[in-house]
Amino acid sequence: MTPLAHYLILSGLLFSIGLAGVLVRRNILVVFMCLEMMLSAANISLVAFSRAQGTEGVPVYDAQVLALFIIAVAAAEVAIGLALIVAMFRSCRSVDSASLNTLKD
Amino acid sequence: MLQDFAFYTWAQFAPAFVLVGIAAALLMVDTFAPRFPKQGLAVISALSAIVTGLFILPGDGGISLTGLAALACIATGAAVLLGVDYHKVTCESVCGAGSQEGTGEFYALPLVAAAGIFCLTQARDIITLFVSLEVLTLSSYVLAGYFRRNRGSVEAGVKYLVLGALSTGLLVFGAAWYFGMTGSFSLSPATLAVGFLSPGRITGILLAYVFLFAGAFFKVGAAPMHGWIPDVYQGAPTPVSIFLGVASKAAGFCVLILLFRPFYTVLSVPEVGSLYTDRVVFFLTVIMAATLLIGNLGAIPQSNVKRLLGYSSIGQAGFILLLFLGIQSFEVAESGVEFVPLQHNVFYYLTAYGLATVPAFYAVALVRMSRGSEELSAFRGLAKTNPRLAFLITVCFASLAGVPLTAGFIAKFRSFVALLQCGSCSTLCWLLPIAVICAAAGFYYYFKIIREMYWEKPLESDKPVTVPGISMAVLILCVLALLWFGSKPLFCASPAGLWFGF
Repeated sequence: MTPLAHYLILSGLLFSIGLAGVLVRRNILVVFMCLEMMLSAANISLVAFSRAQGTEGVPVYDAQVLALFIIAVAAAEVAIGLALIVAMFRSCRSVDSASLNTLKD
Repeated sequence: MLQDFAFYTWAQFAPAFVLVGIAAALLMVDTFAPRFPKQGLAVISALSAIVTGLFILPGDGGISLTGLAALACIATGAAVLLGVDYHKVTCESVCGAGSQEGTGEFYALPLVAAAGIFCLTQARDIITLFVSLEVLTLSSYVLAGYFRRNRGSVEAGVKYLVLGALSTGLLVFGAAWYFGMTGSFSLSPATLAVGFLSPGRITGILLAYVFLFAGAFFKVGAAPMHGWIPDVYQGAPTPVSIFLGVASKAAGFCVLILLFRPFYTVLSVPEVGSLYTDRVVFFLTVIMAATLLIGNLGAIPQSNVKRLLGYSSIGQAGFILLLFLGIQSFEVAESGVEFVPLQHNVFYYLTAYGLATVPAFYAVALVRMSRGSEELSAFRGLAKTNPRLAFLITVCFASLAGVPLTAGFIAKFRSFVALLQCGSCSTLCWLLPIAVICAAAGFYYYFKIIREMYWEKPLESDKPVTVPGISMAVLILCVLALLWFGSKPLFCASPAGLWFGF
């Protein structure tokens, strides 16, 4: 059986890649994909922990419930996010974060 | 683990069901009776939010977190009520002048968000906390970017969405580690103590808390996560800025208190967490200082009033965070640390802040509708053209700055009392000067608007700002409440009443 640590390392890596992507990428769509990756990383941790906390092969289902909620929330976020990106493309003719420049100090 | 959820009852969530039900009914009316005037929808929505808020307002003055939900509901109602007078701008920015198509959701969505805030205050575990927080945030993204023909609003929506989703990611990652280390999502000190007492798990819990706090700090706009506030407050439609400034901030502090309670209770047990208490408190004081400085010093050079109010809201969040220092001096009771004074103080501060911020944004919207600008210079000579309006705005900004005899003074006073109660002398030595400087800076930038109204002359072409009846009523009510809360301690006989009279 794969030890818990492997799942956590995978999840940590995914989370870091996602976070780095959010910070350095300029295309809003790519930023958005990186955000989804961070949520998936959390899901992997949750499911792995849910197995590890369980006894006799029965996982603790609380964590899996949260994982399902996260998937639902991520889907809602994508629906809103894509709509906003379309609106942004209409007004700026670009999906580059550099074109978000009307609000600044 | 199911017994963790046994303390939730259906009846407990009744106000949330009512709010969501009314929102759904409004959406149905919007869809199937497109001729129905949208302002009517706004009035119904605002009234139901305010009535729900008054209904759930606890008589004990905000001792339980439900007080924050009541405050948030009333603020949501006030925000939607501004939407009634702001309807013309909404139509222009959504579908072009003359058509009211597609504006109905603008008045229904705040109710859904308010229901989310109510559930949040009832949450006792991380799953409920996460889901209700997302109900609130997802509606806020839509509202912030609602004016799709206005480039600033779309930009605010995208920025809020990206940064908000980032904070959601941090929050759920923290939640995963919280579960991994304690074996439960329950936000009770007993659960957390299990993790603290197992060998080798403290690092994991601290990691989880860093991520959870990062998510909560984003909502309240504390220092490392404050970047979105000025942009979103400036770009979002003004009614939405009210909602984000008061209701969403109350929700943020609710999350922070919910997460902080078990953590601090466990830390204050001598043999468990005392090793970490000093370090955690130091980490929090650094964040408080940074929030105070960024908010108050950042507001000084601003020329856009909405942006200025955004920075000011970061600064005020810093003063609310100071209240968290006050709990250190409370005795550790058998059942845990006493958090009632903290919750009461946060509720009081947010009430005073909301009562001043709501009319401030109303004023911005009124000036914007008459003079077409949200810049400071648009307020020029308002004392000549609209003396009554100018006086009301003066009281609001004086309260935000903390002038005595207004509620804002007592709120800031309590922050300073909490700071002085903080046990460690070295913290006091560096944090107190920062707090004093920030309070003084507040006087400078809030009075810039008062100066603009009374010292500058209006241009020849400036007509008086038209003030519709609803807006005037809200402004007068808020100002009366500010003055009432501010002067109430004068009528209290005991010294304790003088400091803490509500």
